[in-house]
Amino acid sequence: MIRLIVQRLLALVPLLFIVSVLTFSFTSLLPSDPVDLIVGDTATQEQYEIVRERLGMNQPIVVRYVQWLGRAVQGDLGTSFFNSVSVTGAVMQRLPVTLSLTAVSALIAIVVGVAAGMAAALRPRSWIDRFATLGATFGQAIPNFWFGLILVAVFAVNLRWFPATGFTALSASPWDWLRSVILPSIALGTSSSAAIARQVRSAMVGVLQQDYIRAARAQGLSARRVLIKHALTNAMVPVVAVLSFQITVLLGGALVVEQVFAINGLGTLAIGAVRQQDIPMIQGIVLVMVALVVVVQLATDIVYGLLNPKARPS
Amino acid sequence: MKHGMKDALLAVAVAAGLGLGVATASAEPTGTFRYAEQVKLITMDPQQQSGSGVPYLRPVYESLFERGPDGVPVPLLATGYEVDGLDVTITLREGVAFSNGEAFNAEVAVANINRGVALAIIEGLKTVESAEAVDEFTLRIKLKEPDPAIIDSLCHTGGMMLAPAAIADPALDRNPIGTGPYVYDREASREGEVRVYTPNPTYWDKDKIGLARYEVWELPDDTARLNALKTGQIDAGNWLANPQSAIIDRTPGLKLVRGSGGLNYHVIISDREGTVVPAFADLDVRQAMAHAIDREAFGKAIQFGLAEKSFQPYGKDDWAYDPALEGVYEYDLDKAREYMAKSTFPEGFSFDMPSIPIYQSRLEALAGFFNEIGIRMNIVPQEPGTLARVSRTTSYPATNLVWQTNTDPKFLALRYIYENAAYNPFKTAPSDELLALAEEGLQPVDPAVRAPIYRKMASRLAEEAFLIFVTNTPILFGVSDRTADNETVVYRFGEDSINLRGLKAND
Amino acid sequence: MTPSRPSPSSTGTRFARQWLTGSSLIVTMAVMILVLLVLLALFADVVAPYDPLKQNLMAALQWPSSRHWLGTDDLGRDVLSRLIHGCRIAVIAAAEGTAIAVLLGVPLGLFIGYRGGWWDWIVMRMVEAIVSIPGIMVAIVIIALLGPGLHKAMIALGILYSTSFLRLARGVVLAEREEVYVRSARVIGASDSRILLRHIVPNIAPPLIVQITLTVGAVLLSEAGLSFIGLGVQPPDASWGTMLNSAAAFMDLNWFLAIPPGIAIILTVLAVNLIGDVIRDGIGRGIAAEPRADVAAARSAAVEPTAATEAAALPRVENEVLRVENLQVVVGTGVGVPIITDLSFGIARGETLGLVGESGSGKTMTGLAILRLMGGGLRTTHGSITLDGRDLRSLSDRQMEQVRGNAVSMVFQDPTTSLNPAFTVGNQIAEVLRAKQGLSRAQAWSRTVELLDRVGIPRPEERARAYPHELSGGMAQRVAIARALSCNPSLLIADEPTTALDVTVQQEILDLFRDLQDEFGMAILFVTHDLAVAADICDRIAVMYAGEMVETAKVDALFSSPRHPYTRGLLAAMPHASDRNPPLPTIRGNVPRPGAWPAGCRFSNRCDFRTARCEQRIPLTGRDRLVRCVRADELALEAAQ
Repeated sequence: MIRLIVQRLLALVPLLFIVSVLTFSFTSLLPSDPVDLIVGDTATQEQYEIVRERLGMNQPIVVRYVQWLGRAVQGDLGTSFFNSVSVTGAVMQRLPVTLSLTAVSALIAIVVGVAAGMAAALRPRSWIDRFATLGATFGQAIPNFWFGLILVAVFAVNLRWFPATGFTALSASPWDWLRSVILPSIALGTSSSAAIARQVRSAMVGVLQQDYIRAARAQGLSARRVLIKHALTNAMVPVVAVLSFQITVLLGGALVVEQVFAINGLGTLAIGAVRQQDIPMIQGIVLVMVALVVVVQLATDIVYGLLNPKARPS
Repeated sequence: MKHGMKDALLAVAVAAGLGLGVATASAEPTGTFRYAEQVKLITMDPQQQSGSGVPYLRPVYESLFERGPDGVPVPLLATGYEVDGLDVTITLREGVAFSNGEAFNAEVAVANINRGVALAIIEGLKTVESAEAVDEFTLRIKLKEPDPAIIDSLCHTGGMMLAPAAIADPALDRNPIGTGPYVYDREASREGEVRVYTPNPTYWDKDKIGLARYEVWELPDDTARLNALKTGQIDAGNWLANPQSAIIDRTPGLKLVRGSGGLNYHVIISDREGTVVPAFADLDVRQAMAHAIDREAFGKAIQFGLAEKSFQPYGKDDWAYDPALEGVYEYDLDKAREYMAKSTFPEGFSFDMPSIPIYQSRLEALAGFFNEIGIRMNIVPQEPGTLARVSRTTSYPATNLVWQTNTDPKFLALRYIYENAAYNPFKTAPSDELLALAEEGLQPVDPAVRAPIYRKMASRLAEEAFLIFVTNTPILFGVSDRTADNETVVYRFGEDSINLRGLKAND
Repeated sequence: MTPSRPSPSSTGTRFARQWLTGSSLIVTMAVMILVLLVLLALFADVVAPYDPLKQNLMAALQWPSSRHWLGTDDLGRDVLSRLIHGCRIAVIAAAEGTAIAVLLGVPLGLFIGYRGGWWDWIVMRMVEAIVSIPGIMVAIVIIALLGPGLHKAMIALGILYSTSFLRLARGVVLAEREEVYVRSARVIGASDSRILLRHIVPNIAPPLIVQITLTVGAVLLSEAGLSFIGLGVQPPDASWGTMLNSAAAFMDLNWFLAIPPGIAIILTVLAVNLIGDVIRDGIGRGIAAEPRADVAAARSAAVEPTAATEAAALPRVENEVLRVENLQVVVGTGVGVPIITDLSFGIARGETLGLVGESGSGKTMTGLAILRLMGGGLRTTHGSITLDGRDLRSLSDRQMEQVRGNAVSMVFQDPTTSLNPAFTVGNQIAEVLRAKQGLSRAQAWSRTVELLDRVGIPRPEERARAYPHELSGGMAQRVAIARALSCNPSLLIADEPTTALDVTVQQEILDLFRDLQDEFGMAILFVTHDLAVAADICDRIAVMYAGEMVETAKVDALFSSPRHPYTRGLLAAMPHASDRNPPLPTIRGNVPRPGAWPAGCRFSNRCDFRTARCEQRIPLTGRDRLVRCVRADELALEAAQ
């Protein structure tokens, strides 16, 4: 297991490197000159040169990249083009917000998805199955931001159970934190729970047809025990693989759903950076997201290995 | 070195003296007041600031003068002034120190003003040639041209005084240091979310510090700001005329305060020589556009009845207002189409218009109006807080802005008319008539003499139709009932902020 | 097959298909929705009651009325007209985004797949990098480069989704490249491009179509999302995403504004996904055509008449552990289709009864019926199963659970699938001991090791910690046997326990069964299609055909003089080690499916001895040995000669 973790962590380095090269060269293709954007049209050539030098834009891109990389490995992702805010600081400040949404929605997606998928798989073609299938089919077609709007209209504006906008930090008040993330997380997690439900159901139906389930029953183990221990453990193997992908989807979805709830997360930061063409900020956000995705993949790989002994390196 | 020592000693002595006075005169500052700002914070350097967002600066920075309740400038960091032709002599308050301990004196004030002039972003300093110190607490400003509104300009960002250390700080945009009643608490603030201010222990007028903590929340989303007000997360905030302010107006427990002065929303045809969009050089096209806008409906639907239609830069209460201009571009689709038909672009054309979220529905409505006469306006979103900046560039052939109706009319020329005007990025030379009127208006000081000149300028602007005025709305504050009942809440004249001097928490 | 990202709906194909079966109405509706969408997109100008940009500020934010069926938006524009014009943008977006993805991804994937080497390595590392960034973030960054707008956003989405087409095309090329026919084509001297075109492109079509349906839905949702955050279609153009964007600002004043565009997006994506499921289903069926068992069964409404008299013929044995009488198993609802009819037999303590027959004859089902583990849709309708004097059919499910493992247990055909891959083998045996006998963890473990030792597993303590996949088939089957015997049952059902094993291992396992039976004295019901195995281990043999027993006898008697033509056929088909080469005589045809059984003798349609009398039901007759054939006596004589 430790070997797996080390292997994956080592694989992370080239991936982050490639992503950083990609974003760096990509953003250098941006049509507008960032210096122009900062100094404005009224600036003199002198002012322009000063800013150009401050940003290091007078150097070739390779040099800029190496300098940036040197600082990046020390955790310094640079400074925003437009103010003295450090990219690392800005991203780290927003990260807990987006992570809260992603984590809570992933939890919702897993709990709802597994429960619905299991219920459907246990009674194929029953009304529960049909209802779950219908729900999953719809769930995958509903845009998360639209669902968010509807949830706000019903549960925040009309029923006043939850705040309509904003985010409270977990450290400030766990209860308010939960109240502030619950609606966005439901909006975000619905389509993932649908995807997971479909996966759980098909995996579960497949597993329940396996010999080892019947064999376990033939030894007189109780239906519940066989279901929970023998069937679910195996059914979760493909589900975990999907889950890793779904968490990436949730992370991306959070960027949009944040807008519905006026939450200051990475999405707001990213959209603002894109509108301003704040290159260091865009790079920083992309890199941190990739790092997050890789960590999630690592975590799911470990769980995958725990569930599926065949996947363990021996 | 010697000077520094002496200044420091003086500052300590002054602070100690004031400290004694406070101890007897007033209670410890208590409570928190939370204000919500609708524009994002771009920079806390007042001299780099080109848009709105003054509420972020006022706690830290004080200006030389401030507007009194009637709008007339009264001294703040200054103690008096004297205008003599192109020379403006200002005496400064003694015993004032910046929150970092640096002393405030003529040398510092001169450095500030000269920096503002050099940066050339603040409109109010455009007429300033340079400043120089006369003695330790007296400075002289030399003007390039007569400017009757120079003192008024020093009430705003142009008159805000930065500590020398702050000016030298490359990260000034997030490290403001001023003389104000509060200091910026960088640790407690959260980027893009909230700015926290705590009392300035070295403040020169301690009686006026009434709060243990002041917060400015960055809430560009109108609905989020409204929710924050409803839930008591904020005590007050500023609003434009939009659905959310209309909701505040009719929600029990909340009040919509109509502040002094107002905002004039207008479209600026920047490319009026047709460099990028040739059609804009055609007066018929511009007049067609002016006639195509149904200002009545716009005010009702987009600004929820909180607006009046506008055909000139001034509000009805302003001394330069010309009633004769009312209805000069009354909504008349047939007329607009006639103008288009006889223009050189009868088939219409298209152009790009920068937008920020709070102007989105306004621009969609305008796009709808222009669409009626075959003009396609593409709305291009900008990051909130950057509209003013892009409006100064040639990125867009036209833009849309608001301006304070009680601003001195001379700023019209500084913003839009002169060849080097801030919002004249294509450097279009003004017509002789306009240039003459702009210059003539600067000579006298008496508003009664200046008014007829500016009326003429307004009607000339109407003829040239490169500024298309749409509506006037009052400055709007959304506040809770408790804030409305708080007698220490004083709205600054013609500005979307609350005067912090003397402000106390609700209850 | 497709190495693309696991996409949200690809996993649930079977799921959707099951639901869709019989719901062709829904599919029809999905097709109609898409047709309507395209028609509206084409004729939006004609159909829409108003100009979508025509505003009337004095009539803003109206609720639905006869003038404006879906009300008006914040600028007084007709929502219905904007919705209809939004169809056009949706169609353009879906077509443009998907087309770019295909045109970019497929050729590049084909190229790098065929070329391999550095090209492949570099492009695949870049694809991996892109795929590790959340999709919407990739789109946002590309839009930063290109600027917002419908077409630019679609280029961004096209680039984003091209990665799945690239990986798909590359995967197909890699698979096909190794195919023999491509190699042979290369030998003949065909050019690279011809090989690609002639051989690979046709193979890519089915997965490509599947991926396209997935992408269309994803593009629609992404376009709406990008437009919603203001980076896609720009106002005042009417796209569903931008309509939702402005609706969001007016939720407090008129929430209805959010409803029509939302429903439009949902219905369209739903329709695309459903049709995608159907297409995928169709392509899947083309690959593996398998008629549905229950449909075939439903065709036959004939219900077997039950002859309750046969059990009487069944001789009683001493020390009988299991006695099955007149057992009938059916599938399906209502009267159902019989799978097993009138089955009666008994097994004594220490005895091994072989249950032989071709696959499909119902022998495995008999074993499962005893355990009541037949699975969905199957049930016993008649007869009795008496184990150690208790009628199992009368027990509750809970009581049955007690019986399983303790009194009767089962060993399955394939040890690698009958052991749970997720747990160590020791865990799986100990689990039974703890659950059934209430042993402590330590007790269960030491007993497990003993059992493993007993079934002849060397180094049992170490092997107990192994996972099933780490053991050979023979070892795994020993583990399965140890588990089955862990609670010392009186009956062991062994379902083809040696079939999946190497011949050399088979004998060891059979020896193990014999040894264990000597030691534990349990009765064994040995299910096999291999008569040689049956001859080796069984005391008596019962031959099953099409759900019924056709002959039963002591093993020597059966082998020396088979009475039933089917038994004869089976014996004739037995391979002998000595004569491997000549083709084995086989019984022509196949075992008929349940429900398609001949009305009289079920073997009659494959029997060389058929007469007119075979048209009616034949009872099981005889004394020492039983046979179900009207000509059994004639055949016995014939065999004797």
